[in-house]
Amino acid sequence: MSLTTAVVNHHLDQALSSPLFRKAERQSRFLRFVVDAALQSPPATIKEFDIAVAVYDRRADYDPRTDPIVRVEAARLRARLREYYEVTPPESVRIDIPKGQYVPQFIPVARGPAQAVSDLSILVPPFRSLSPDPGDQNFCDGLTEEVVYKLAQDHRIRVITQSAAAWLEQREKPKPRYLLEASVRRVDAQIRLTLHLMELTGGGATRFSNIYQATTNEIFATQERLADEIRRDLSAALHIDNAGSERVH
Amino acid sequence: MDSNTIRHLQESVALLPTGDLAAVDEFYKRLFELAPEVRQLFKGDMDLQAQKFSDTFAWVIEHLERPHELCQELRALGARHSGYNVRTDQYAPVGSALIWMFQRTLGDRFTPDMEEAWLEFYAFASFEMERGSRELGQPQPVHNPTLESLATGNSKR
Repeated sequence: MSLTTAVVNHHLDQALSSPLFRKAERQSRFLRFVVDAALQSPPATIKEFDIAVAVYDRRADYDPRTDPIVRVEAARLRARLREYYEVTPPESVRIDIPKGQYVPQFIPVARGPAQAVSDLSILVPPFRSLSPDPGDQNFCDGLTEEVVYKLAQDHRIRVITQSAAAWLEQREKPKPRYLLEASVRRVDAQIRLTLHLMELTGGGATRFSNIYQATTNEIFATQERLADEIRRDLSAALHIDNAGSERVH
Repeated sequence: MDSNTIRHLQESVALLPTGDLAAVDEFYKRLFELAPEVRQLFKGDMDLQAQKFSDTFAWVIEHLERPHELCQELRALGARHSGYNVRTDQYAPVGSALIWMFQRTLGDRFTPDMEEAWLEFYAFASFEMERGSRELGQPQPVHNPTLESLATGNSKR
């Protein structure tokens, strides 16, 4: 898929008109500056000094060693772009500014139907019981159901159960982006739940891990409380707001 | 943030002198040089302000591996700063002054990896503060004290 300057510029205009960028004037100028430079023919070189002078009003004697404002803002701009794309999946192109450089990359996006709503897809296989009592798996199954239910309340998260994953595999749909794995250990009435959220794309890095403790008193209430806690933590780890609420920028 | 980033953050803070606020003074001095207009936002006792900064800083470092609590606190901090009329663009010189504080205080002991870790952390922290500012007025989730949540990992951005 080839990208034209017009396509990139149109996408840039869309991004900069979003609430997330409208309130970040300097970072918007930063992004516009590096994209414009990269779209020149031949592409212009982009140095920290150039950005400091053009975007941050630094003078000709600017020294990046004593004022790292461009490096600070580059890191914040990368975070803002990530946030923007999580909320607004790109339709044709994605702008990426790799760590350690200021030259943006324009990555063509071939979007499948399942990715149209959100790329926050999480595969949730049944939580495993590590206790010797086979009855404990019932608690795990119930807790898995509760967590799936809570996560599915957020329309931006695509929750995929194990049975749905098998169906998707046959249909060659896009693979889930994350895997949520959890195991439960029980000693008497004490429960310890270990949870990992891993990225299936890229290097398979662990995005979030946590250990939760509870008791088996009032099983349904315990499952619900744990599911609420897990949903809140995952929202924080994935940098999205509370379930069901739209972002207000 | 991955475990390496957290390690670099912790190691750099461990190198700061304990028991005095000289490093924090360097931070504010540099901040007011970079952004003189910010000075008017600090109308109170600067010694007290430095102590508050130091306390908040220590709390954040202690909670690097507890992302849920860290996010909540940073958002609350952002909401409070919104009340002081801090704009999104004013977070930039703060980050620059923070890096300067480490450079000035630690010299060559402040490695490029440590700087990279602080850049990543500051992007994360300032973004959560911005989010807290946007959410101002909305009810904040309350940590459930009945369930002990022991974080062993961290969020990665």
